[in-house]
Amino acid sequence: MKKTLSIILSLMLVVALLAGCNGGETTEDPTATPTPEPTVEFGDNTDFKVGMVTDAGTIDDKSFNQGTWEGILLAADDFGLDTKYLKPDGTTQAEYLTEIGNLFDAGYKFIVTPGFKFETTIFEAQTKYPDAKFILLDGYPHVGDWAPVVAENTVSIFFAEQEAGFYAGLATALQLEDGEVGFIGGMEIPAVQKFNWGFQQGIAYANDTYGTTIVMNADNFIYEGSFSNVAGGQQLAAGMFDKGVDAIFCAAGGVGVGAINEAKTRAEGGEDVWIVGVDVDQYADGIYDGTNSIILTSAMKGIDQAAYDMILAETYGTFPGGEMLTYDSSNNGVGIPSENPNLSDDVVTKVLKAFDEVVAGTIIVASEQGSLIK
Amino acid sequence: MKKELNEVTKSLIATFLGLLAGALLMLSIGSNPIEGFTYLLKGGTMSIERIGNTLSTATTLILTGLSVAFAFRTGLFNIGVSGQMLIGGLCATIVGLTLDFPRPILLFIMLIVAIIGGAIWGIIPGLLKAKFNVHEVVATIMMNWIALWVVYYTVQAFLIDVQETQSADLPAVAQLKVPWITELFQGSSLNLGLVVALLAVIFIKIILDKTTLGFELKAVGFNRDAALCNGIKVSRNIILSMMIAGGLAGLAGLTFYTGFAENMQIGILPAQGFDGIAVALLGISTPYGVLIAAIFFGILHTGKGFMSAMTDIPPQIANTIIAIIIYFTATSLLIQRLWVKILRKKKSKKNAKGGVD
Amino acid sequence: MKDNFVVEMLNIRKEFPGVVANDNITIQLKQGEILALLGENGAGKSTLMSILFGLFHLDQGIIKVKGKEVKITDPNIANKLGIGMVHQHFQLVHNFTVTENIILGIEGSIVLKIKDASKIIKDLSLKYGLDINPNDKIEDISVGMQQRVEILKMLYRDADVLIFDEPTAVLTPQEIHELMKIMKNLTSEGKSIVLITHKLREIKEVADRCTVIRRGKVIGTVDVKDTSEAKMAEMMVGRVVTFKVDKQDAKPGKVILKIDKLSALNNQKTLGLKEFSLEVRAGEIVGLAGVDGNGQTELVEALTGLRKIESGKIFINGKNLTKSSIRERNETGIAHIPEDRHKHGLVLEFSLGDNMILKEYYHPPYSKYGFLQFDQIKKHADDVISQFDVRSGRGNASKAATLSGGNQQKAIVGREISSNPDLLIAVQPTRGLDVGAIEYIHKRLIEQRDSGKAVLLISLELDEILDLSDKIAVINHGELIDLVNANETNENEVGLMMAGIKRGEGQ
Repeated sequence: MKKTLSIILSLMLVVALLAGCNGGETTEDPTATPTPEPTVEFGDNTDFKVGMVTDAGTIDDKSFNQGTWEGILLAADDFGLDTKYLKPDGTTQAEYLTEIGNLFDAGYKFIVTPGFKFETTIFEAQTKYPDAKFILLDGYPHVGDWAPVVAENTVSIFFAEQEAGFYAGLATALQLEDGEVGFIGGMEIPAVQKFNWGFQQGIAYANDTYGTTIVMNADNFIYEGSFSNVAGGQQLAAGMFDKGVDAIFCAAGGVGVGAINEAKTRAEGGEDVWIVGVDVDQYADGIYDGTNSIILTSAMKGIDQAAYDMILAETYGTFPGGEMLTYDSSNNGVGIPSENPNLSDDVVTKVLKAFDEVVAGTIIVASEQGSLIK
Repeated sequence: MKKELNEVTKSLIATFLGLLAGALLMLSIGSNPIEGFTYLLKGGTMSIERIGNTLSTATTLILTGLSVAFAFRTGLFNIGVSGQMLIGGLCATIVGLTLDFPRPILLFIMLIVAIIGGAIWGIIPGLLKAKFNVHEVVATIMMNWIALWVVYYTVQAFLIDVQETQSADLPAVAQLKVPWITELFQGSSLNLGLVVALLAVIFIKIILDKTTLGFELKAVGFNRDAALCNGIKVSRNIILSMMIAGGLAGLAGLTFYTGFAENMQIGILPAQGFDGIAVALLGISTPYGVLIAAIFFGILHTGKGFMSAMTDIPPQIANTIIAIIIYFTATSLLIQRLWVKILRKKKSKKNAKGGVD
Repeated sequence: MKDNFVVEMLNIRKEFPGVVANDNITIQLKQGEILALLGENGAGKSTLMSILFGLFHLDQGIIKVKGKEVKITDPNIANKLGIGMVHQHFQLVHNFTVTENIILGIEGSIVLKIKDASKIIKDLSLKYGLDINPNDKIEDISVGMQQRVEILKMLYRDADVLIFDEPTAVLTPQEIHELMKIMKNLTSEGKSIVLITHKLREIKEVADRCTVIRRGKVIGTVDVKDTSEAKMAEMMVGRVVTFKVDKQDAKPGKVILKIDKLSALNNQKTLGLKEFSLEVRAGEIVGLAGVDGNGQTELVEALTGLRKIESGKIFINGKNLTKSSIRERNETGIAHIPEDRHKHGLVLEFSLGDNMILKEYYHPPYSKYGFLQFDQIKKHADDVISQFDVRSGRGNASKAATLSGGNQQKAIVGREISSNPDLLIAVQPTRGLDVGAIEYIHKRLIEQRDSGKAVLLISLELDEILDLSDKIAVINHGELIDLVNANETNENEVGLMMAGIKRGEGQ
């Protein structure tokens, strides 16, 4: 028995070490993001430090944490600010509050928290630390009763994921023309659901408007149940591809990583399979032979942009405290990547046309399930 | 007694080695270890609130550590604390969300069902071990995953309010947080769970040292054959030990899900269950040792973020440092034992060789 | 004169923290002699031999081999110097042949020249009268033969000096006799032998000289033929030792234990005990003689409840205990001194006091409402300690592991006898103990008998069986060969029965 124990513990140690190394190595990555504009205008107030508490998952999750952090770093770079992110032990309110306290005590009083799980935490924190300012992405503060209480030192930001999903679905259908698509979600939470529903509407729109014949089978619209089970994502994707699915939309964090891996393996073997990315442009993650990527396109939401915008506002002293903002097509808060090597120009043109129509209100993408699959 | 002192010394050396390993890691990324450790300690202790948070983090670890330690004493390795925690927490959460009783009665019922839930999750591997000789490590790990999905299903099916990933928040009366403690510790997450944990420490201390039950369990743990030969029912004790260990883990679940947190998130095996192994090892499997080790780990966990915020040590490295300290501390005890074993083997091999070659 | 010695260890001193294991010890082994090394357990014999083997480094002193001073820092050096050891526990691979075992691990023999080796082994076997077939598999030959394979290993490696570490513990009397002959053959062919033992009779039979060690010091070296066993025993123990167990004739009373056609499986799931029947009466000691592995373990475990009974019945005082639990049997009056005191007898990490209540902790006066009554436990332990002369560092608080083997065994005997059992099952009660402790435990077993209790003694030491028993039952292959009165038989007859030959059949 002692032997078993020692093996297990040494394994744990090794894993801990590896995890640490990995983290250490990739922390620098986000900084590599190119800065598009060389000169930026910003306000006078640059005497604040920006902190972030990560949600479940790591800072380099290719998704929510990373997007937020990239926005913060970009802003910090442009405005010359100190930044710091902390990773809580778990995802309970107590653990989040501990890290917020750590940031606050260390002078980081402009605090960004990505994810709905921070809702009750920020409710506590906004009164506990009146001197601090909070950005809550994808959620609004409440005491547990879902009645929004956005204090003057807090901004709550939402995204129209359904619109991003819509564009991705439309692009997918137009590019494939015929075939079958599937969806892998992480947990069944509103943001993920809205991606899904928008994606379905985009496919349907293409079928109706442009005569594509994309099939959607309810069996291939699945929520894995976590954002971390890489192996599970790989299995689900393999199952769908085996059943003849051509492209899978993954809104599932680490689960999506598994699906991407599966698609890469198949693509290397000559199979014609695609993944539609989520949150950020995942094209680079899907490159399998040095040049080609299995990422058809990505349903993006401007997490980084939201973080950047709020910090920018703070430099002007116009922090929109107490407000609940929505980032959608009209303010360029959602969309597909500007570069889409796997989409034809024609497809991109059609998607841009749809984008304009959504902004104009002639296309309305529902954020409710209605008669859609799950 | 001398032997015990020895064990304490070993634990202290192990702790020192763990801290040293952490220091080396800090040095290797170009940070100053003294500064790092200062902020680590400060982060865990420099204000009443932080002390409260340290104790609050330690609360669950005390109970998971006790659970592992108790099973250790009977020669069993309970690696299923996480699963037992989940089930204990689930039972308490169900009661907390559904029953409407005056607070003391409600909390008491929650306490009892948490113990029962954890105990049931412990008894199953105990029975498998006693009746079919299924190794408890395997069985308890399996039970962890079963628990994970039982909670997943149950919460989603019955306990969800709005968010799909967690149960509805417990009403304030069904939480272990009480205003006077929260105020006393300036808004920290400390709660009545600590009282439960401390009572459990005393209770287990008494069981192990003063009762015939503890006598039997220890006899089975130290020497199963001798216990059997002298008429002690080994199977019964294995089951009983796993039941009590499970009950303690269930209590840990109670303190975690109804004290530290206010709801149950699904899809997560609580890490405290595994940290309990390290707590038990460092606490030389004695109740008081576990108490001290858990508080030590509490300081590390609470102070880590502050260290990260005040220095250039990124959170991953901070986590790694904590993990290294915890596991190095625990493993160095194991390594020491292993070393002795290897030396002994080498010697006997030499002996053999002496005759053969 | 000096040229005569093949091995000399002069003024050897070896200290371990807190203990002087060897204090200025000198032993000298003459060419072609058998030197007995006699001493109680812990006297320093093993340390001395470990130094000769290079396992320990000496603090002071000189080792000479064939008159030349040598530094033995490593067992390989010892081997090259021609020193070989026959271990107590054989190191043989059971499904290999004799030849394969002997050439196993010799450098440079990767390409096995089995035929050549077999030939050499055959020749050696003939030369020294070992009677070994090189092609037999180890698992097919007897323990005695296995020991000879160990001896052959040394001879094959050209050892001139052979050290035998308690070689007779596992042998039947006849096999012991054979071994003695082989040892004499070896010396007549020029080999020299060190015989480590505490059995005086063997020394008397085979050794030329005897060096006696007590507490790390040499008490003296004597010529065996001029010295009585009693004298050597006195040198070893440090006081006069009575050899013959004083005992009156038994006054057997009613039947306490009745074993009726008991059968049980062994660990290989075949019948290890076959329809075994035996009665033990109050006031008598029945000794069960047999070569190791002939069903003794199965019988003991079936009696004590550790092993499932296939068929047959067990009665204590007429009460059927066939299906009872271990504890019920304890409570009905069975006490058990187990063969392996570390595995079954004691919880080594427990204090002596706790070990003394290992069977009785759960009832008053040791337990009240589920709580241990430490005063009573200590009192009981102190009683046993004083009655049975258990010596330990810190009395009842000493950890059992810190006691010497003899004192551990005394503690077990004390615990079992103090429970005042109707039947005491004593399995190898003196294994590995020194003369003093053996004498003491024997006295206690006789006392138990004399107080009107039944004793079932199971031992591999025939002397012990012959000395103590009133009746002797002999077991072979799980069957009762015969039951004889101790005063109507002799060693030879019992030895034959142990080999499975019934009375009258052999002669």
